[in-house]
Amino acid sequence: MDKILLEVIQPTQTEISLECDHVIVPGVDGDFGVDFNHTSFVTLIRPGILRVYQGENLVEYAIHEGFVTVEDNKIVIICETIESVKNLDVARAKSAKERAEKRLKSSSEKIDYRRAEASLKRAIARLAICK
Amino acid sequence: MANIKEIKTRIESVINTRQITNAMKMVSASKLRKAQKNIVQARPYANRLNEMIEMIKLKNTTTTHPLLAEVKKSGEEVVVVVTSDRGLCGAFNAHIIRTTNEYLTEHPHAKLICVGKKGCDYFKNHSDKIIGKYVDFFNEMNFGVSKEIASKVTELYLNEKYSKIVVIYNEFKSIIQQNIIAKQILPIIPQKSKNLSLIDFIYEPNEDIIIENLGKKYVNVSIWRILLESSAAEQGARMTAMESATENATELIHTLKLTYNRARQAAITKEIIEIASGANAIK
Repeated sequence: MDKILLEVIQPTQTEISLECDHVIVPGVDGDFGVDFNHTSFVTLIRPGILRVYQGENLVEYAIHEGFVTVEDNKIVIICETIESVKNLDVARAKSAKERAEKRLKSSSEKIDYRRAEASLKRAIARLAICK
Repeated sequence: MANIKEIKTRIESVINTRQITNAMKMVSASKLRKAQKNIVQARPYANRLNEMIEMIKLKNTTTTHPLLAEVKKSGEEVVVVVTSDRGLCGAFNAHIIRTTNEYLTEHPHAKLICVGKKGCDYFKNHSDKIIGKYVDFFNEMNFGVSKEIASKVTELYLNEKYSKIVVIYNEFKSIIQQNIIAKQILPIIPQKSKNLSLIDFIYEPNEDIIIENLGKKYVNVSIWRILLESSAAEQGARMTAMESATENATELIHTLKLTYNRARQAAITKEIIEIASGANAIK
C-alpha cells in the first residue's frame, strides 16, 4: 500500500518526520483518519491523541493544540508540544489533572477557567495514552 | 615615582579583572551557541506558518480579518522594546534606546512595552507610556514567555484602540555586528517565500477561525524568533565587549609592569648610591 508522510513541526525541538499508512488526528470537530489520497484539508487540533499506524505497529502521541494540513499525501502538523508515550511523566500529568479539577470546582473569581480547562484537557490526553 | 607596593596591588587587581572578563567571554560564547541552536530549531516552524499565512492571504484577497488587514485603522501604536537584562554588553542597549527615542519623537503618542531590565530602567520616568514589562527571563528562555508577550500584544491590537504593533530589537548579524530593526508584527505582513504551492484547501471549521488561530501562532513565533535573535545578539555583543576588555587589561598590565620595574630599579639604584656614598664617607 502507498505510504503517507507525516511531519510534525515544533518551535523548540527538532521535527519528527516519518512514513506511515494511516493516521488518526484529533481535530476540533472530531477525530479524523487520513489515508492515502486524502483530500487537501486544513483544520485545528484539539488536545487529544495522535495515532500513527505503520503497518501493524501503532505509535501514540499526546498532542495539545495546533494545526494540521493534508496535501498531496503529506500531513504536516504544526504544534507547540507533542509527547510520545516514552517521554511522558505520568505522575506529573496526574497531579496536573487533580490541580485543574480542583481549580474548576472552586468558585473564586481569580481563576482563569479557560486556562484550567485547557490544562485539564491536556492532562487527560496525556493520561489516556499511558494506559 | 609611585609607591612600589601601590603599583603591585594595582597589577594584581587588573589581573583579577582580566580573569573575570575572560571568563565572561567564555560564558557568552557558550550561551551564544545555545541561542543559535534555538534559532535554527525555530526556523522550520516559522517558515511553515509564514507559508500558510501567505497562501491564505493570496487566495483570499478580500479577507477582512483584522490580523491580516492591510488597511490601517486609526489609533496609536505600541512599540515593544527588546533590551537585555544585564549590562556589560557594549552599546547593545544604548543603540536600542536611542532608536526607540527617535521613534517616540516621530510618534509621540506611541505606547511602550519593555522587554528586558535595561529598557525598563531607562524608561522608568515615562511611566505614563509603559503598558507592559517583561524582565528577568533571558537566562532561561522558553516559549512560554514569548507566548505571554504575544497574547498580550494580540489582545491589545484586537480589543483596544491600537493600530499597529512594532518591535524594536537587535538582529544577530554576526558576533561583532548587530543590526537594529524596527519590525511591524501586527497587522501581519507575511514574508515572501519562494516555492509556494497554491492548493485549494478545505477549511474546517471555517476560514476565519483558521486565520485567527494561524495569525496568533504567527505572532507567537515572530516574538519567539525576535527574543532568540536579541539574546544571540546580546551574547555576541557581550563577547566582543569582554574580548576588548581583556585586551585592554593585558595592555594595562604591560604598562603597569614597566612602571613597576622602573620604580624597582630606581629604588635599587638609590640604595646603591646611598651605600656607595656611605662607604666613601668612611674612607
